[in-house]
Amino acid sequence: MRYDAADRNLLRQLTLSQYKLKDQSSFFGFLWSFLNPLLMLGVLYAFFRLRLGGEIENYALYLLLGLVVYTHFTNSTSLGMRALRSTRELTTDAVFPKELLVLSTLISSSLEFFISMGVCLAIAVIAGVPITLAVLWLPAIIGAQLLLVLWVSFLLATVFPFAWDIDHIYHVFLRALFFITPIFYDISFVGDGMARRVVELNPLSFVMEAVRGVVLEGAPPPAAELAAFVLLNAVLLITTLALFRHFEPRFAEYV
Amino acid sequence: MSEQAGSVQVRGLWKDFTLQRGQLTAFHLIRRSVRRSDTQPVLHALQNINLDVRPGELVGFVGDNGAGKTTLLKSIAGIYTPTRGQVTVRGQVGLLSGLGVGMVGDLPVCDNIHLYGSICRLSRSRLDALFDEILDWAELRDFVYEPVRNLSAGMRTRLAFAVAMRTETQVLLIDEVLSAGDQRFRQKCQAYFESLRQGDKAVLIATHDLDFVERNCQKTLWLRSGQQVGFGPTAEIVTRYREDAS
Repeated sequence: MRYDAADRNLLRQLTLSQYKLKDQSSFFGFLWSFLNPLLMLGVLYAFFRLRLGGEIENYALYLLLGLVVYTHFTNSTSLGMRALRSTRELTTDAVFPKELLVLSTLISSSLEFFISMGVCLAIAVIAGVPITLAVLWLPAIIGAQLLLVLWVSFLLATVFPFAWDIDHIYHVFLRALFFITPIFYDISFVGDGMARRVVELNPLSFVMEAVRGVVLEGAPPPAAELAAFVLLNAVLLITTLALFRHFEPRFAEYV
Repeated sequence: MSEQAGSVQVRGLWKDFTLQRGQLTAFHLIRRSVRRSDTQPVLHALQNINLDVRPGELVGFVGDNGAGKTTLLKSIAGIYTPTRGQVTVRGQVGLLSGLGVGMVGDLPVCDNIHLYGSICRLSRSRLDALFDEILDWAELRDFVYEPVRNLSAGMRTRLAFAVAMRTETQVLLIDEVLSAGDQRFRQKCQAYFESLRQGDKAVLIATHDLDFVERNCQKTLWLRSGQQVGFGPTAEIVTRYREDAS
């Protein structure tokens, strides 16, 4: 990274201003942002509890963890994609590394994610789920999710100024992603064919299963797979950040 | 000359913009990458611009709307990549393109001082140290917790300028920020620009205010439709520009 004191201050201020504007600094502000996964949880629980959730222990919490991970991914990457355009004035009329605009958006939306994960843990304790030392793996798994969100956001933010309809295409993709991620079903539900391979190749499935493993089953994630996941996503982050920086001098003309 | 001195050198600068018909889509992106010969209409926004700005110099950019003043400032700032030619900048660059760019109306004055200050490349500790000074200069001590959207246009301008004038970059690019504000505000601004002439920043100012240019700038660049009509001592260039306009 190539940030000086002024860059670090700008990143902090951009993040704080977005956080304050979303009113997340207040209790009710956070409640509103948590309402979306809660509402989805209610609907999915009501519809799938008997068939798909019948064999899954703590199905409500299983759903909630899945929804929190999925919501963080979709919200953060969507906001990251539009970061240059939603702060168009700063993109076109100010001198600083424009990746700070994407980063501040992601940090702001990830604060919500951290709090949501804390709430999920609290609910798990209240529901009588035995919390084990495996939960200490949670920061590493969340870190892996952040790497994933970062590189996807940088890739989308790079393409967006040159192809504005990527926004629509991406939202169709996110709709499909909802169904190919084991949010409301167990991975065994899709059988052993092509569908299972698609679900297993989905990086969000790995994060989701790992989070559920440490919280609901007290099982640490497979260390080798987690290390490979982190390494792969770190390489992709370095690549997409380089791509973003390469195209940065052209953003002001197109955004 | 100190290590903090700023300077700008522009040699044979051309900047072309591709004129788009409507918004770019994924289809355009794919078609353009496949058909490299696909030609688009081009606007020559800057054509063969040459310029030298030494430390401690204030240079005015004059010209009609659309002459290329803002494009030149943004090319020097590195926001636009030159199509041809070379821009060499010594020192960190600050661009004030309109006052208050990035300020958020829903946030209070105190938050906006920190936000806009950070956009103007000021560090956190420096902003903390300057906070009271900024409030006093802007005459907004009674409005610290007031959302900026509730301030009058004049108050917002004062607040933005009070922050922006503290920027410590060695090269300062200013784009038409002097048109707003009352007489008292202009007098305070004038004192600031006089102080700049004593320093070793390189300052480039695009403006329509020819009196301001005559008062403050040692040299002036005159642009017309992206072409450099003249660059030299302010008295000579502004006189020619006035004659041309009348």
